[in-house]
Amino acid sequence: MNSIEEQLWNYIDGTCTPEERQAISILIEADENYRRQYEELLALNAEFENIELEEPPMAFTYRVMEAVRAEEAKVPLKASINKNIIRGLFGVFAFIIASVFIYALFSINWSAGSNHAASFNLPNVKLPVNLPPAKNLFSSTPLLKAFIFFDVVFGLFFFDTYLRKKRAARQL
Amino acid sequence: MQSKLSDIELIEQTLGGNQAAYADLIKRHQRFVFTLAMRFAKSREDAEEIAQDCFVKAYKSLSSFQQQSKFSTWLYSIVYTTAMTFLRKKRVDTTSIDDENVYLQVEEHGSFENNLAEKKSRSFYVNQAISQLLPDDATIITLFYTGEQSLEEIAETLGMEANTVKVKLFRARQRLKEKLEKLLKHEAKELI
Repeated sequence: MNSIEEQLWNYIDGTCTPEERQAISILIEADENYRRQYEELLALNAEFENIELEEPPMAFTYRVMEAVRAEEAKVPLKASINKNIIRGLFGVFAFIIASVFIYALFSINWSAGSNHAASFNLPNVKLPVNLPPAKNLFSSTPLLKAFIFFDVVFGLFFFDTYLRKKRAARQL
Repeated sequence: MQSKLSDIELIEQTLGGNQAAYADLIKRHQRFVFTLAMRFAKSREDAEEIAQDCFVKAYKSLSSFQQQSKFSTWLYSIVYTTAMTFLRKKRVDTTSIDDENVYLQVEEHGSFENNLAEKKSRSFYVNQAISQLLPDDATIITLFYTGEQSLEEIAETLGMEANTVKVKLFRARQRLKEKLEKLLKHEAKELI
């Protein structure tokens, strides 16, 4: 059984059932003790409703926003790089490698004897800018080897990354 | 004239990259968050640290706010957990209900001696009495009376059952009433 005070607080807060509410209001009307306590609690409730909120320092919002900006700056570079850029770069390199490979395949003289090295010619593209012909650019063997070596390494690196991700996903 | 944006609209703008919208959200809730923090910390510097920390936490996890409850309820639950962690970390001495040093603590705040104008204000004594309550009691009273929170919302904020909150609110009010009577009696004696 709730105490008188508890019943009256429920009545003031409006958390009692309609039946309880009716019974308490009759008691308040009829019982002097109930009425006195009710008026006392009602006055107290009015005081509690006027509780003043504390005022934070004037620069509070500014300080919070500074802290927010500092937190944002902490985000690692890896997380802030747009993945589409990486995918785009990968696509460009993959396209170049594939193009060179396909062109090389079609340029090889398959009917040539085993004593002769397979040879292919790069297309003679005419550019609006006066650049040295591609044929001359790649005619030096070390440069061509370096280019192919770089592409192969790059391709292997991406393939390795792809396999690692796949394995990690499978482990999850 | 631009109408006042709702909390949800400000959240959506913040998530869209508009930091000024979050500043508006802070301005809207800072007084209440700071007051709640004061219920735990007792010093303005510590309360500011708690309030700032919880606004940063809220910003970081804003995208996880499900909008199933009011933003204020979600924010107050962050304040509560942040303040509880702060209490555990700092081991702040909370005043027990029957602590005889209550008046000493009140006087240390320098309010009785210095704020003669405030002395006349009844709400000043209510605030003083609240500051002497245990953090949990003070929080429930603050959430109920100034946070416009229902018993169910307080229960969600504190991670309790609504019925438990109801009982706790009743006890907190009893204690607050006792503190207030004690304070006023003490003040009356001083005046005589």
